[in-house]
Amino acid sequence: MARYILNRVLLMIPTLILISFIIFVIIQLPPGDYLESYISELESQGESIDPLQIDMLRKQYGLDEPFLIQYLTWSTGMLHGDFGYSFEYGLPVNEVVGDRLFLTTVISIFTIIFTWVVAFPIGMYSATHKYSWSDYSLTFLGFLGLATPNFLLALVMLYFANVTFGTSIGGLMAAEYINQPWSWDKIKSVLEHLWIPVVVIGTSGTAGMIRRLRANLLDELHKPYVVTARAKGVPPFRLLVKYPLRVALNFFIADIGNMLPSIISGAEIVAVVMSLPTTGPILIAALQSQDMYLAGSFLMFLAILTVIGVLISDLALALLDPRIRLYGEPS
Amino acid sequence: MRTDLTGQALREHWVTDKPFDPQSIAAITPDQERYYFASQWQLIWWRFKRHRLALVCGVFLLLMYASILISEFMAPYALPTRHTNFIYSPPQPVHLIHEGEFIGPFVYGWSPTLNMTKLLREYSEDRSQVYPLAFFCKGDPYQFWGLWQGDRHLFCAPEGATLFILGTDRLGRDMLSRITYGARVSLTIGLIGILVSFTLGIIIGGLAGYYGGWIDSVVQRITEVIQSFPQLPLWMALSAILPVTWSPLWVFFGITLILAMLDWTGLARAVRSKLLSLREEDYCLAAQLMGAKPHRIIGRHLLPGLFSHLIASVTLSIPAMILGETALSFLGLGLRPPITSWGVLLNEAQNINVVAIYPWLMFPVLPVIVIILAFNFFGDGLRDAADPY
Amino acid sequence: MSRALAVASIIALWLLSLSGQSAALELKETPYLADQVAAGTLAPISQRLPRTPYQDGMDEWPQLQPGKSGGSISLLMGKAKDVRQMVVYGYARLVGFNQALELEADLLQDYEVQEGRIFTLRLRPGHRWSDGHPFTSEDFRYYWEDVINNSELYSFGPPRALLVEGKLARFEVIDAVTVRYSWDQPNPDFLLSLAGPSPLYIYRPAHFLKQFHPRFTDSKTLQGRVALAKTKNKTWTSLHQRNDHQYKFDNPELPTLQPWVPVTAAPAERFNFVRNPYYHRIDPQGYQLPYLDQVIINVASSRLVPAKTGSGESDLQGRYLSMSHYTFLHEGAERNNVDVRLWRTTRGSQLAIYPNLNASDPVWRALFQQVDFRRALSLAINRHEINQVIYFGLALEGADSLLPESPLYQPQYRNRWASYDPSEANRMLDALGLTRRDSRGVRLLADGRPLEIIIQSAGESTEETDILELIHDGWLEIGLKIHTKPTAREVFRNRVFSGDALMSVWTGLPNAIPSASMSPAQLAPTSQQQLQWSQWGKHYETGHGEVPDLAAAQQLLALNDQWRWATEPSQRQAIWQQMLDIYSDNVFSIGTVARVLQPIVIRRNLRNLPTEGLWNWEPNAYFGVYRLDRLWLDDNAASTTTLTAGGS
Repeated sequence: MARYILNRVLLMIPTLILISFIIFVIIQLPPGDYLESYISELESQGESIDPLQIDMLRKQYGLDEPFLIQYLTWSTGMLHGDFGYSFEYGLPVNEVVGDRLFLTTVISIFTIIFTWVVAFPIGMYSATHKYSWSDYSLTFLGFLGLATPNFLLALVMLYFANVTFGTSIGGLMAAEYINQPWSWDKIKSVLEHLWIPVVVIGTSGTAGMIRRLRANLLDELHKPYVVTARAKGVPPFRLLVKYPLRVALNFFIADIGNMLPSIISGAEIVAVVMSLPTTGPILIAALQSQDMYLAGSFLMFLAILTVIGVLISDLALALLDPRIRLYGEPS
Repeated sequence: MRTDLTGQALREHWVTDKPFDPQSIAAITPDQERYYFASQWQLIWWRFKRHRLALVCGVFLLLMYASILISEFMAPYALPTRHTNFIYSPPQPVHLIHEGEFIGPFVYGWSPTLNMTKLLREYSEDRSQVYPLAFFCKGDPYQFWGLWQGDRHLFCAPEGATLFILGTDRLGRDMLSRITYGARVSLTIGLIGILVSFTLGIIIGGLAGYYGGWIDSVVQRITEVIQSFPQLPLWMALSAILPVTWSPLWVFFGITLILAMLDWTGLARAVRSKLLSLREEDYCLAAQLMGAKPHRIIGRHLLPGLFSHLIASVTLSIPAMILGETALSFLGLGLRPPITSWGVLLNEAQNINVVAIYPWLMFPVLPVIVIILAFNFFGDGLRDAADPY
Repeated sequence: MSRALAVASIIALWLLSLSGQSAALELKETPYLADQVAAGTLAPISQRLPRTPYQDGMDEWPQLQPGKSGGSISLLMGKAKDVRQMVVYGYARLVGFNQALELEADLLQDYEVQEGRIFTLRLRPGHRWSDGHPFTSEDFRYYWEDVINNSELYSFGPPRALLVEGKLARFEVIDAVTVRYSWDQPNPDFLLSLAGPSPLYIYRPAHFLKQFHPRFTDSKTLQGRVALAKTKNKTWTSLHQRNDHQYKFDNPELPTLQPWVPVTAAPAERFNFVRNPYYHRIDPQGYQLPYLDQVIINVASSRLVPAKTGSGESDLQGRYLSMSHYTFLHEGAERNNVDVRLWRTTRGSQLAIYPNLNASDPVWRALFQQVDFRRALSLAINRHEINQVIYFGLALEGADSLLPESPLYQPQYRNRWASYDPSEANRMLDALGLTRRDSRGVRLLADGRPLEIIIQSAGESTEETDILELIHDGWLEIGLKIHTKPTAREVFRNRVFSGDALMSVWTGLPNAIPSASMSPAQLAPTSQQQLQWSQWGKHYETGHGEVPDLAAAQQLLALNDQWRWATEPSQRQAIWQQMLDIYSDNVFSIGTVARVLQPIVIRRNLRNLPTEGLWNWEPNAYFGVYRLDRLWLDDNAASTTTLTAGGS
């Protein structure tokens, strides 16, 4: 087992190097650089900037250096914790993200809980009542969330939450609590705002969860041990929960790889629409304004999380299934 | 299945006193014979038919796709037609009964008044004017498939009246017509995209799965890299490098390709793992022993076993493509006006004015939901039917 | 230089101001600061103000009335970087425009101009930075000698606004409160750039910045500061520049002269600005301005700003609102206790089309340079329809020219070649030899290519797409087909600059309400950012690019130069008229409609903002010339809504 782990960890290194290179290429792909998008942003508001100042900034930011040099500076910098400099904020990248990371995690965890709470009963029910009308209508509800474009749902919910409950539009708390220390009132305000993004983001995930749970459960319910157990008189609900459900849940473990990065990045588009103080809007703004070190380092962070997540799920599966340990990777 | 689980049928044990004929099990009834000799596709079809909802959805999708061939005929107005006197008209009610008398579908006269304090156009019906709808009527002329000139529409406004069943937008364009034309782009984007990713997925996944070894490792690494990438920056970067000189149509294909390029990994993984397990089956070994070449084994023995699954998973990923297009439009990266797609329409509706004052501009969300639901139920049915044995 | 003298006079001033000189008016202590004054942590008002504060008469219009000090308002911005708008709105300038758009001394006590080239600026004795340190000629000297003439800090040389014909001014410190700038030739832009919304800062808080300058700080201490700095490059120049953004307004430590001082450091979602206790303006009753103790900026995505404003989350908002939001804002006005006022935008045209006279394709370039072609395009736009469809008929139709608000306005410029006359346009195109048409009725160029033009747009508003769609139909009638190509902003400009873009669409003349003393440079090829002749403009700016070869453009350039030499108002007026005449007769940009309504949302009990106003960057600096330091909250008004309403 130790050997298997070592193997997997060593394999991560070339993957990460490759990813870092691709990330850097990709954020540099769009034409122009940060200063050009900065100028045109100023222009669109009627402002202008002295071309000399731009030349000065370009030199200062090192944007006139060749691509490979820029890449090497950035990638070697990351090795000792220097994630580069955000042009937009005029701060080192580590300081930009700040407590947004915490709020993003809060939203993501609540969203995952919401998804499970909704998807579990529906998935179980529709697996045990296959092709009944209740199966259809419940899966219909689940799919409805998937089918509604999130960004539209977000705006509609914001508006109606404001009209009916008086919740302030957008953000994660009423304006007066921003920059304030945590207090009960602040937590209350956060909870008042939190449910909208949680529902909007959550609904899009429930359908997938329902479908997978249902499919896996159906597979299990066919198996002989279920029939045997039933023949021996195990009560139906206990029978369902005790074995098939547990086996059917294996896919959650395989899902950790996808879950880790999405906890951190949140649902970017919804976050932009709702103007949430999470990391998503920073990432999108950084990509759009070509604030390349901020975007690059954040993407790299996400990629590392994915790779670690995949590693964890592989290890967990290997622990559960000796065949994988012996023959290499899980399929 | 259901009775099994609740356990009802299994509680009582009883023994029949009829004489036992040992041949009764071995003998094949005509029904069973039909079943055992049926081809795989027939079996899938039989099973699929049992899934009523999926069947209905399949037919519905077929009709939708057929309709985009004749969008020009289906839409009451041509795509560029503007009614500058009817800006932001809410949906115009279609009536059947006028003053207690049934006269078929008709509309009343419809006219705006300007409310200058609110800067709002308010619409009202003129109950004295009755305009029965015309069917197969002459309306806006169009170039059908670029081949011939036409001006027939399925239904349109009678002479002197307007027909805005789903209202109009800020330039007075009929929403129903825009949605109808938008379907053409949105539905094909899914189809073309999936075709590309399907091909890529099968070829790459097939190679990896059949040959294994280093090919497999390389493919595994590539898919891992692509998958560990957040999709968003990839979209943004790739659509930023589409040449600016491309015409809107080419951009459309470009976007489709981008969506497809990111989508094939999941399919490739599925193909690979399925192949890995099928490869170990006895019939495969038998074929190998008989000296079959790899391409014959893949093509003749492995792919058919795989295909049904693939089709099912494909129908499930078309909706993702359609949604992907709407998301790209939202970011200002995808299609943009003057091209009309559902994503473009929804993006135009992404506006507080629309939500609060002109809610009918959000109608394009309905076809998106319906199509995606239909694809999902259809795909679910297919998948359940895919493994008939 | 007279540095020793300057230092001596600072000390003298310091002593003077301590002696408690006060103006004829009795000064009253600001309630918000009374506690600090009582506790002795802050000097009393008589010692905080300059000896001759700016006394705001508050009599420009009838409803303007002295108010009550106190309270706070909050507004919305789309990005954290937009806190710089507080410098625009705050509008404390050495010289600034008043509401009649005349220049007057503001931070300065007075100023003197000789022959249009020698500028003597006199500060207010006893004037202080927001940290209480005196504001003197030393701050100007520091900027001149230790900032722009420091070859490390300004490696690319001093800002171009300080150069005339490539020559830098001569700078003298006369005494502690007087400085003089003299050029060999007139520099009409100097005062204008001091008054700009993003002003030319010719002074720096020297006492604060010296700690980052090697000339004033020993290298060891400086090294330590550099090492701790959060800059990209660990050099003293980066550190100095980082602490020196008077316009960015994101450094709470940097002393300022603006009415409100930032107290929140970026990054943040909410920025607080509190009153500057040393601000130089007082009201007629003897209270120090600004009336409002605090201004709060909440950052929300710009797409959400209209929605949030409509639910009462902003006390004063104009930015990110457009006419299309009016109905929505109006609906919520009663509920949220706000007024929605309709101001006017003052660009030459809300949207103008720029044929690229520097297009790289020779055939197109030759065609665009034909004046009749441009005139025909302009005649084929149905401006009335655009106005009716998109602006409820409330905008002003016409060419891209000045607005009636300008003293230079003449209706003929606005109306020339701007009536809808497709048959005349057709005739003109025929006369140009574009008589052949293809099967679609689209005219053919001499080389057989169809007259199909891709219009580059930055594609940001649906308004733009809509207007272009309306124009599309009008132009098709005269045998010209256009396709709109939305691109990212930076790509957009680069394609215009390179000549790849044949036509582009952007807003019209930036300042359509100028007076004769404002520069007419916007009418002549003087900047690369001018989309119809970016190459010619680049040539003027940098000497690279192409030399204008069109007679009318050369004429405009020559007139622009003449305007710079002219010192008599009547001469300038005549030159402006000539330039306007040439510009509109040549249709260098094709205008649509102008004077579009701009909704301004304001809390009902917030006083002293005019009901009607002009909304623009230059010269009004948005709210700037209306002086936000005069705004006050009327507690006696019927409304008792709290300021941050909507927040649950």
